[in-house]
Parts: sequence; C-alpha cells; structure tokens
Amino acid sequence: MSDTVHRKLERSAIGFVIAIIAAASVGGIVEIAPLFTIDETVEQAPDMRVYTPLELAGRNIYVREGCYACHSQMIRTLRDEVERYGPFSLAVESQYDRPMLWGSKRTGPDLARIGGKYSDFWHVAHLNNPRDVVPESNMPAYAWLARTPLKTDDLSDHLAAQRALGVPYTDEMIENAARDAYGQATPDTDYAAGVTERYGEATQVSAFDGVTTKVTEMDALVAYLQVLGRLTDAAYRETAAAEEAPASQE
Amino acid sequence: MDISHDTLVAFSKSWGLFYLMAFFVCVVVYALWPSNRKRFDRAKHSILDRDDRPWQK
Amino acid sequence: MIAKLTSSERQNALVLAVIVALAGAAMAILGRSDVLGVHGLIVMIFAGVVIYLIMASFYEPEPTEDREASYYDDPIKAGIVLAMVWAVFGMFMGVWVAAQLAWPDLAFDGAWSSFGRLRPTHTTGVIFGFGGNALIATSFHVVQRTSRARLAGQVSPWFVLLGFNLFCVLAVSGYLLGVTQSKEYAEAEWYADLWLVIVWVTYFILYIATIARRKEPHIYVANWYFMAFILVVAILHIVNNLALPVSWGHAKSYTIWPGVQDAMVQWWYGHNAVAFFLTAGFLGMLYYYLPVRAQRPIFSYRLSILSFWGITFFYMWAGSHHLHYTALPHWVQTLGMTFSVMLLVPSWASAGNALLTLNGAWHRVRDDATLRFMMAAAVFYGLSTFEGSFMAIRPVNALSHYTDWTVGHVHAGALGWVALITFGSLYTLVPVLWKRERMYSAALIEVHFWLAIAGTLIYVFAMWNSGIIQGLMWRTYTEEGALAYSFVDSLVAMYPYYIARAFGGLLFLIGAVVACYNIWMTVRAVPAAAPRATDIPATTVAVPGE
Repeated sequence: MSDTVHRKLERSAIGFVIAIIAAASVGGIVEIAPLFTIDETVEQAPDMRVYTPLELAGRNIYVREGCYACHSQMIRTLRDEVERYGPFSLAVESQYDRPMLWGSKRTGPDLARIGGKYSDFWHVAHLNNPRDVVPESNMPAYAWLARTPLKTDDLSDHLAAQRALGVPYTDEMIENAARDAYGQATPDTDYAAGVTERYGEATQVSAFDGVTTKVTEMDALVAYLQVLGRLTDAAYRETAAAEEAPASQE
Repeated sequence: MDISHDTLVAFSKSWGLFYLMAFFVCVVVYALWPSNRKRFDRAKHSILDRDDRPWQK
Repeated sequence: MIAKLTSSERQNALVLAVIVALAGAAMAILGRSDVLGVHGLIVMIFAGVVIYLIMASFYEPEPTEDREASYYDDPIKAGIVLAMVWAVFGMFMGVWVAAQLAWPDLAFDGAWSSFGRLRPTHTTGVIFGFGGNALIATSFHVVQRTSRARLAGQVSPWFVLLGFNLFCVLAVSGYLLGVTQSKEYAEAEWYADLWLVIVWVTYFILYIATIARRKEPHIYVANWYFMAFILVVAILHIVNNLALPVSWGHAKSYTIWPGVQDAMVQWWYGHNAVAFFLTAGFLGMLYYYLPVRAQRPIFSYRLSILSFWGITFFYMWAGSHHLHYTALPHWVQTLGMTFSVMLLVPSWASAGNALLTLNGAWHRVRDDATLRFMMAAAVFYGLSTFEGSFMAIRPVNALSHYTDWTVGHVHAGALGWVALITFGSLYTLVPVLWKRERMYSAALIEVHFWLAIAGTLIYVFAMWNSGIIQGLMWRTYTEEGALAYSFVDSLVAMYPYYIARAFGGLLFLIGAVVACYNIWMTVRAVPAAAPRATDIPATTVAVPGE
C-alpha cells in the first residue's frame, strides 16, 4: 500500500509540492500563530503614547539610513545588558513599531533607551561628525541631515496608513500631522501647543538642531532618538530580575 | 475569537511533536522501502550517463 | 538568442516587455517626485533595452531545426554571466563596507555611500544577484539534464531570468536612494516585492512543467532541493513582505506585522532564507555537479532523501534562535533552540554524503581544483552548520549574539559553502554549456581556489576573534562589581580585526575577478570540443517530444 502511495506521489510533481509544503509550513505556523494572541499574556501599557509625526518621520530616516544594521533596540534579559543600557525590553514597548527595529548586530551600542540620556546638542554634534564627540568612533557622519529639509506634506498619509494597520492615531492627529511636525521643532510658534495637546505634556518640544527657522531631517532624527524608550515607563515598573549571564563573573 | 493563547500554545506544543514523529516515520519508510532500492540506484547512476539531448518519443 | 524564437514567441516577448514598460510609466506618473518615480524610469529603461533587443532581430528568419531535440541553454549562459557580474559587484560592495568600519571616512560624506545604505547592496548583491542568478542558471541546467527534457517554455525562462535581475536592480538602486523596508535580507519595497512574486510564480510553474515532461518516474534528488528552494522562498517572501503602502504614489510602506510578531516573522524569514535560498538550492547544485565532476554516483541516495526531508522539516522551526533573551516568549525561544540543534543531523548527513562520495577519488581532488572547490564547500558546510547549531544554544547565544561572531558564522557559510560550491559548479558547467574541451586555464582555477580559501579563513578567524573579544568585554566586571569596559573600549579593540576582515574579503573578491577572466577566456579562446556520438540524433526523423 505504502509503496503505491509513494509511487503516485513521486509520479506527479504536484504531489511532491504538497509534501514539501506540508513539511515546511508547520514549523512556522506553530511558532507564529500563538503570537497573534500574545497580547493576552504580555504586560499592558495603558500609558503608552504613539509616535508624533516628527518622531515617526525620524524613525523613517533611521530606517532609511540603515541605522539598525549597527544599533540594536532590544535589551536582553542579561545582567550586563541591564546594567549597561537599562531595564530589559518588553514586547509591549514595540507594539506600534512597524517595522520592529530590534536589530541583530551591535557595531555601536544598543539604543532602546537612549532617549533623554544625552542632550539634543550632543546628538546633533555627534551626527554631524561622530569623531568630534567620540574620537574612537567608526560611525559614518550624517552632516547632510541638517542640510536637508524634512518632507512634511505627506505625513498625514503616513499616519493614516499606520492607523489602517491598527495604530491608534485620531482624526485630529492625522489632520494636523504636518503642522505638528513643524510645531514640535519650533517651540516658539503657535503650532507647538498643539503637539503637547494631542500627544501629552511629556512630549519633548524643542529646536532639536538649534535652528528654528526650518524643520530638517536632523530635527526629526534627534526627536526620534530622544523618545526611544520613553513612550511608556512599563519597563521600569516590571520587577523581574535580569538573568545572570552565564560564566560572566571574574 | 474563542481560541485563547493557552489553547494555541498547548496545541503547538503537543501536535507539533506528534506531527514531527509521524513525518519522520513516513520518510524513513519511504527511504528504506525495499522496492525503492532499484529506482534509487538507477537515479544515482543516471546523472553520469553521457547524454546531450532530451529524450524523444 | 531571439533568432531561436518563432515569430509568435517573439510577439509574446514583445508584448510582455511593453507591459513592463507601461507598468514603469505608471510608476513614474504615480510616483512623480517620490523615489517611486525614479524607479518607474529605471523599469522603463530596463524594458526599453529588452524591447530594443527583441526588435533588433524581430524579422529574422524563424528557426528551422527541431528545438525539442536539444536542450535550451541560452538562458543558462546569460544567467552565468549575470551571476559573475553580480558577484564582482556584491563582493566589491562588501569590501567597501568592511573598509568603512575600519576607516569611516571612506563614506566621503555622501548620503548614498554611508554604511547603512551600502550594506544591503552588498547582501542583496551577493545573495540575490550572485546566488540567485547562479541558482536559476544551474537549476535550469540540472532540471533539463536529469529529466532528459527541454525547458517547458521558450519565452518564460528569459522572463524569469531578466525579471529576477530587474528585481535586483530595483532593490539595489533603491537602497542607494534611501528606499528600504529595513527587514534584513528582504529590504526591497512593496512594488519590487510584488514584481518578484510574479517572476517567482513563473519560475515555479516553468520548473514543475519541465519536470512533468520527464520519462523516468523518479525525480532526481537535486531537483527536490531546487523545488523546495523555489516553493518555500515563495511562501517566505510573501508572508514576510505583507505591507501597506503609504499611498500608490509612495515607495514607502508599513509592514502589517507589528513589534514582536514582526520580529518573529522577520527571523522566521531570515533564517529560512538561509535554509532554502542559501542551503537547499546549493545542495541541489552539490548533488548534481559533485557526482558528475567526480564521475562517481552519490555515496548514499537514501541518505540524501532522509536529509532532504530533515532539512525541509527542521529548518522552519529554528528561526526564533535569533531572538534569545528578547521579548519573544520563552517557549518559542526554546523550540527554536531545540530544532536548531536537531538540524545538525540532516546537515551533517549531507556534508558526510558529499565527502564519502569523494572517498576513493582523493587523487582527483588533489589534482582537480574544481572538484576541490566542491570538497572544500562540503567541509565548510559541515563546519558552519555545526557552528550554527552551537550558537543557537541559549547560553552560547548570550555571548555570540549582537557580536561579530554572527558575522563570521554567516561568512563561513556564505563564502566557504555557498560561494565555493557555486564556483565549483560553474567551472564544471561552463565548458559543457559552451561546448569547450576544458576551462581556459587550470592554473587560474588553482589560483582562485587558494585566494578563496585564504580570504575565507582570514575573514572568519578575524570575526571569531573580534566577536568573542567583544562579547567577553561587554560582560566583564571589575572586582567592585561594575562593568569593566565602556562600549567604546570594545570598539577600539575591534579595529585590527576590521582591517584583517577587509583584507580577507579583498582576497576573495580578487578570486572572483580571476574567475570572470577565466570564464571569459574559455568562451573566447578555447577550441570547441569534438561532438560526442550522442550529439547526433539516434533516428534521422525525430518526433518532437510532447
């Protein structure tokens, strides 16, 4: 019996194709399917806010420049990582991240909690030429970011696309996206108030690159870097201790 | 949806394993089935035949 | 090449090229100032060149010979040339980005030339450009020879080959212009991904239809690997790249997978891209070209079947080992680790099968650098799969993850296994396809072999050292219980290794250039081989097959 089954399976290439799919698809399904219901088990973060338009634009620049190739945004549950970078990363912290930027390589340090650790001024100087600030650095210089005006006219489309995928942006946020992006980088204008009104008092409104006359890509990227790890403080509330890194002492 | 996370995880952990074992048995049976020996032998020698054109009916 | 098509086939080809040109025009109009518009122009230029080539010999006389009585080798030849062009491009980019890590000013203050944008041009260039074209070319060759059937299409092989290269061009030019999804090894944006789906489905249908033409009921095992490669890559590609464009006029899209799900899907894709793109397809090469070159049948056909199903089954579970100690649920990490370790069994079965095939032909391995390429590839395959299973163990991964060790592991596989088996296969295939007695220079193959081996070893040892030093420095504590080193301290320790790595890569690149020259001279300067008896049809009046 078994023999004739095999014979048929072999005879038709289609049968073979089905066998390959049967063999190959299960592993993925088993691992991925339960992740769709993972929100039942992971920690909640009711205080978590969404990215402002300026931060989202900065995130897209971070993606575009391939920063993730050298910087992770995922602090593992190991003692040395927690001591170096801060509380380990929680799943909920990247719930609005499309794509996730956990990264796979640290040619530079982890950035999951870089927000607020350095001044805007430091970030701008560092991005202009990393070796001015850290002489040993091998990071590329991103001086042109400060010379490139930020494209804000289509930010509403970006927010709308994010909402279509489930990120809770309100109509008001989508409508005012371009204005809010401008306002967040120009604290002295009328637009600035709208940003804190819509995204919360804790939102950093600042002339990130020190120039308030125009909004550049430098403004957006620094705004994003400054919010990393600060959308929610859920990680600081978690009490679980980091795992001991094996064979780490000495 | 009624399917809870725990159900899915339990299903994954149990049936995934059964599936693995059943699959393994099928493959071993196929590979070691005596009457398949001839065709495997023919297959492994077939690529060494000197031949430079498709078969013709 | 067009001369071998009938007039209706030429028309079909022309219609296809015009449709692609129109799609490019639509992209250009919708995208306007967005990068999508630039890509529309690139598509139009690409299609324009194809249209020009078709029109240049559109009215030439139709082929008179019976095409079904011979194999269809033109697309394979073009595929080999394209693979070598991409090899040099991709490896050059690799050397450049490697050098940037040691000397960051080599970015020359350009946006397009910074590390983050160049790095995916290297990975896409070598994986998809070099590896993909080599896989398409060799799969077309193997499926025809093992099925004793001509490819089941005249235009579709060209569509697959050129369509795939259009995808590569869109991907690589996009990175330089700042278009990326940031999904590792799947950086190309939504429109290029959609295009690849069309190309890939055509490839799949063509492959299945060709296999269906065979006479022998059994399908030779090399085809199994190629089929798994084509099929599973399609599944992976579609699931991983599901995304919503910002608008029809935007190159930018947002993936439908958020956060932790995206991480799992990404590494399910990423690891299986290694499994089915960089392993299954190249095992297909190994199971055909190694026995043919050694003139010995594979050691155990049964073992090759067992390891095929083992690899197809186990790999799919292993992806989560990229996410140890992260926010991914613990049980998923454990599952990934377990299957990664089990993967060693089918992997070593394949490597052992290859080496045992050579047992009794070691004198050939000594004398024939082409065969030695394949032997070394099998050894590196065995070593890097062992290393991979080892690194998937959680406590090991705690040290190795995020460090250069991972990079070293990937390159032990990519240089030592993928590239060496490809070069070995191409050196076997080129004289056969162009009907030459031999390669132009055996000495140059020898030179290439030693350049490749030296380059790989220097590269891998540099990355092992730097990775382990890096991992240890990050977790070293002082007696007072404080972290002993700052991050910058660990970076400073990396510089010598980064220089060594760039040098190793350079050697490998030079080897690839030598191979290009050797292949070029084989086609140009080596006399044609005497026709074999089997070249002449057995019957004077041949009936076309199917």
